[in-house]
Amino acid sequence: MNLKKYKQLRAAVAFFVAALVSMSVASKTYLLAFSAVVTGMIFLTFVRSKVKIIIDEREKTMREKAAQMTYAIFTPTIGFGALFLTMFARDEYPFLQSLGIVFSYLTLFLITLYSISFFILSRQMGGGSDEE
Amino acid sequence: MKNKLKMYRATLGLTQEALADKIGVTRQTVIAIESDKYLPSLGLAFKIARVFHVGVEDVFIVDGKEVSI
Repeated sequence: MNLKKYKQLRAAVAFFVAALVSMSVASKTYLLAFSAVVTGMIFLTFVRSKVKIIIDEREKTMREKAAQMTYAIFTPTIGFGALFLTMFARDEYPFLQSLGIVFSYLTLFLITLYSISFFILSRQMGGGSDEE
Repeated sequence: MKNKLKMYRATLGLTQEALADKIGVTRQTVIAIESDKYLPSLGLAFKIARVFHVGVEDVFIVDGKEVSI
């Protein structure tokens, strides 16, 4: 099976799962919705193992760059948002200040996660030591 | 960096799809390499050269400015 056939099959499965879920939610039979989603996931995992190419190096590079851009945009945005909310919404809107605090912790979490990932990848790729 | 991938592919009569299958990438990647929009990794460059039974430097041509030390 090639990538094109896999994508077509994935779209068809997604369509049927979505239809089943919407029907079962409308008729309040939640077990059917759950089993439809699980069956769809298992089926797609099985099919995915049969596909020759899922991603190649160009797509990996694109994903890396997209992740880097997302981090570079999202982290400062949410960081400055946190700063703005905690500074200016202190007295009048206490709930916005709480939101600012949540944003602050989220920013710290993102930076920590990035640093840990960078450190682990640096170790894996042979960086970090000064040996010559 | 320029490349002669299209020329070599035409010489062997390979389609982009067939070449992509041989080197284990998608057709979009072959198109991107041919149009100089994507620079392949060293491993992929060797794979491509091996398909045409030539050296990497025969397929990929480095400009003088890019290798100046």
